[in-house]
Amino acid sequence: MGEWLLILLILAPVAFGLLAWAAPGDRSRGWAVTVGALATIALSLVFAVTAKTGESWISLADLFGGRTEWLAFGLELLIAIVVAVIAVRVRSRLILALALVQIGLAVAEEWFSLRAAPALPGADFRIDTLAIVMVSIVSIIGSIIAIYALGYMKHHQAHAPATAQGSGRFFFVLVGFLGMMNGLVLADNLRWLTIFWEATTLCSFALIGHDGTPESRKNARLALLINSFGGVAMMLGSLLALSGSGVEHLSGITAANRALIPLAFLALAAFTKSAQLPFQSWLLGAMVAPTPVSALLHSATMVKAGVYLILRLAPGFTGSRVMFAIALAGAFSFAAAAALAVGQSNAKKVLAYSTISNLGLIIACAGINTPLAYATAMMLLLFHAIVKALLFLCVGTIEQKIGSRDIEDMGVVMFELPVTTLMALVGMASMLTPPFGMLVCKWMAIESAIASPLILLFLILGSALTLFFWAKWLGRIQTVSYHATLTREKLPLSILSAEYILGGGVVLTAIMGIPLFQILFAPLAVQTYQGIVISAESLSILDSVGGLDICLIMLFIALAAIANMLTGRYFKPERVRLPFLSGENVVTDARTFRFRGLKDEPDEAWTTALYLDTVFTETKITQWTNWLAILVLLTMFALVVGI
Amino acid sequence: MWSDWETISAFISQACPGLLTVIMVLAAPLVGALLMGIDRKITARIQGRIGPPILQPVYDVFKLFAKEPLFLNRLYIFYAWLYLAFMILVVVLLAMGQDILMVLFVHAFATIALILGAMSVRSPYSRIGASRKIMQMVAYEPILILFVVGIYLSTPHPHSFLASAVMQLKQPLLFTLPLLLPAYFAAVVIKMEKSPFDVSSGHHAHQELIRGVTIEYSGPFLALIEIAHFYEVFILFLIMAMFWSTNLWIGAGIALAGFFAQILVDNASPRLTTFWMIRFMWAGPMLLALCNIIWLYGMGRG
Amino acid sequence: MKILAKSPWVVHFNCNSCNGCDIEFLACLTPLYDLERFGVLHIGNPKHADILVVTGSVNHRNARVLENVYLQIPDPKVVVAIGVCTSTGGIFADCYNILGGIDKVIPVDVFIPGCPPRPEAIIDGLVQSLEKLEAKRAGKKVAPARKPTFTFRPPEEAEAPVTPSPAGSAGHGGKE
Ligand code: SF4
Repeated sequence: MGEWLLILLILAPVAFGLLAWAAPGDRSRGWAVTVGALATIALSLVFAVTAKTGESWISLADLFGGRTEWLAFGLELLIAIVVAVIAVRVRSRLILALALVQIGLAVAEEWFSLRAAPALPGADFRIDTLAIVMVSIVSIIGSIIAIYALGYMKHHQAHAPATAQGSGRFFFVLVGFLGMMNGLVLADNLRWLTIFWEATTLCSFALIGHDGTPESRKNARLALLINSFGGVAMMLGSLLALSGSGVEHLSGITAANRALIPLAFLALAAFTKSAQLPFQSWLLGAMVAPTPVSALLHSATMVKAGVYLILRLAPGFTGSRVMFAIALAGAFSFAAAAALAVGQSNAKKVLAYSTISNLGLIIACAGINTPLAYATAMMLLLFHAIVKALLFLCVGTIEQKIGSRDIEDMGVVMFELPVTTLMALVGMASMLTPPFGMLVCKWMAIESAIASPLILLFLILGSALTLFFWAKWLGRIQTVSYHATLTREKLPLSILSAEYILGGGVVLTAIMGIPLFQILFAPLAVQTYQGIVISAESLSILDSVGGLDICLIMLFIALAAIANMLTGRYFKPERVRLPFLSGENVVTDARTFRFRGLKDEPDEAWTTALYLDTVFTETKITQWTNWLAILVLLTMFALVVGI
Repeated sequence: MWSDWETISAFISQACPGLLTVIMVLAAPLVGALLMGIDRKITARIQGRIGPPILQPVYDVFKLFAKEPLFLNRLYIFYAWLYLAFMILVVVLLAMGQDILMVLFVHAFATIALILGAMSVRSPYSRIGASRKIMQMVAYEPILILFVVGIYLSTPHPHSFLASAVMQLKQPLLFTLPLLLPAYFAAVVIKMEKSPFDVSSGHHAHQELIRGVTIEYSGPFLALIEIAHFYEVFILFLIMAMFWSTNLWIGAGIALAGFFAQILVDNASPRLTTFWMIRFMWAGPMLLALCNIIWLYGMGRG
Repeated sequence: MKILAKSPWVVHFNCNSCNGCDIEFLACLTPLYDLERFGVLHIGNPKHADILVVTGSVNHRNARVLENVYLQIPDPKVVVAIGVCTSTGGIFADCYNILGGIDKVIPVDVFIPGCPPRPEAIIDGLVQSLEKLEAKRAGKKVAPARKPTFTFRPPEEAEAPVTPSPAGSAGHGGKE
């Protein structure tokens, strides 16, 4: 049963995507996507509920009888050839070279595996708690985004440039992406992993280039280039694993004789996919795509593949110096991306940097490699997926309404889009204020990083800078003047429902943060680290994550809310006063920030938040941080070789 | 025997569990108000004035409650309540001996509530104040986190983040964190809105941005902020007293010395710009804090 | 209990003053006179203030501003007018743009005569205003202050007073 569910999880989204592509009209396409999304959600839920406890392994050979390696080899070659064809079409020599290398590596791997049977047998797919959690995140959040895209693309099509591809193909790739992602997190065989890995790369290439403008084409090409580089690293890693230690499975790499060299290459691949420094440029470029694409890439899919891989590998390498280097790279990305976000006023760019930063935190936690850190990383992954999806959806809606993605222009949205703004507020607040999950995670991250001062320092600096850029945006978007009533927001059902569900999810995870940790993530971490030598202290600290603090915080927030309600009787329209503008307010104007300036003409009192762009200049910082990040990566490889 | 915290807290909590928390929550604003009053008196004396009565901050709060509650929108009032609630929560958490890192976070969020409140109105003054307040946080927050790390490393194995563990230390914190005391002091000067760092809401008449972040609060709502500030003053110096937790009198002495020192600094220095504040804080106090932490790791406490 | 009188916070508004009165008022805050010993804070922001201290006379342009600042002070509040300018326009009374004393725009509770008045007189005036502040809090009707009789009165004063129209409306645009 589990086997067939697994295959359905991979193929069903693709099938529904094909249906959506083939659908003749908008209506039928809407149905195909909606049914596909709901089916994927249902499948993942059934999958999670029916899964056996512990690990189970599934091999295609058992299912279909006979040899299926040829299938894997064929698909691998096929994808590499597709990349090569694309490379020719977009006229990029670099990508072509990478694709050719990939073809070569695939052939070499096949040759190796034919010559000698692998030392450690394994299966094609593995189902365990980590995989189930990942599948749930991908399927549920990804599907919600697909549904949101229905409403969004209607509006987008009306304004899209003439070069945009048909939305049938768009939905095919968008929905199919989920299937590939499901495959990625379930695969254990390195070859299947590579196939899905490269498939997601191709999907993101198609989605980023959807609009067909010169800019989007250029950025799609960049994404393909960097991710193909990651693909090469991954294939090289698996080839080395096969030739060096005779393993061709992920479980083999973690189980056997500490295959450090493949680990380093796989980590490199993970860094490219998770857009860690110095590979961040493709994710920043990806924001030219329609918003649902950004939401998908940033939350449920693509970038999560990288952190998933690190999480998958980490427990096999406790105490290893390579893991330390990985943690350091993550922590460095966390701080550096936060610093880069400070200088940005482009909302999507801020979100992109914050994604990179948060992924860095997850990788840092995975690299710290204690049960507490591992559980933290998992929780971060979950929260980040929900929040980022929500935030991107909200920003997309706001952008369509006000026609700008500049943070400073968002001071008016509270009145015009109360629901979306409220959801965005919830999302942003959850990134930095209690009682939301992020805070608990940051708290646990710092507590678990305490053994390695350098990582700790980056975490501390990064936290301070994170606060800087979120508080600015939060402050701008929530600006309101007094209105007795708010306008009613008119949005398509698909957009509203997606926002409500994700907003509800954020609130729910806030309330359930600690129970979730105690029921799901702490046991997951304990189970993951079973049989691995770790200090007793690092296990006992898991229990110390108590709910008391969080309960108290919630209690006090509730108290403040009640008190605010009680003071509500003072809030009468006649007690409203305009803000102090040295007495020069234009009193009759509903826009409360107008004052009489020169020649008594009305003028707007306007201040922007601090962006400090002389200090946090993007180009300057990027240059520096990229070099440093390369240095960290080189250190990682140096440690592998044992210098 | 009444000099160490453990005996006192054990005595009180034996008498009635939870009483200690209640006492601290009630006493904190009074102590804070008194300290502020003394602060104003001493400042006046330094300047050759007579100065207001010691209880002046209390009178101010009563006065504010008697005023008409004018407002601008509903949201920023909620933030005032949040600011107060979080400050009280910090005291509660400390009294209950909870995780100090969490205490620090809650404390930071109290300030963030103030910032967000200031940013939710369309007043340029309050927004500039809020921006500067964020800069202040960026300047001092790393030091406070390092301080917590230092406390963690000072507790005996197995290390603990619990505030109650600090109170059970056999050796004063000052011995393990000598450099963190001046660093923390610098953070306190910022938190108290004292020169040279009073950039976000000048504490003295007419100084900067017409009271920056609090400009749009009036009447009772401003009183909430004032009370929260009393709590904050209490918390800041309570934590300073924790540097000598084995003997409360010495601890109180350190806190008082810090208190007088910040008044002196306030009166003796001009205001720095925001950028200088960050530069100064990250180059000076933060370096001190880092050195201290590195030294602790070097001593094998990691 | 005298709640308000114990911590009067002051906002100072310079209408059209020659700065003489302002300097004398600021002198009250200096160590020599030390107004803060009465709890007075020079707060600079109407939303926090209890007492509006005005210096100078109103003209067409600042009448609107003065009224706006007055409205932004939460009740109970008092207005203290310093100097002869605030009661009649003083030496500026004859200027083409001057409306006259500030009582044409907002109700005044205490006039402090002088050009400029001495700090002692200002302190005295402030202390007087505190009584009115308490009376207002108690809900008593407080009659507007009478103008100092020994002050200079320009001849126009006999004319019909110019009452400002509601805030922000036209008529005080200064475009005559
Ligand atoms: S009263 Fe005299 S000193 Fe005061 S502002 Fe008028 S002219 Fe100047």
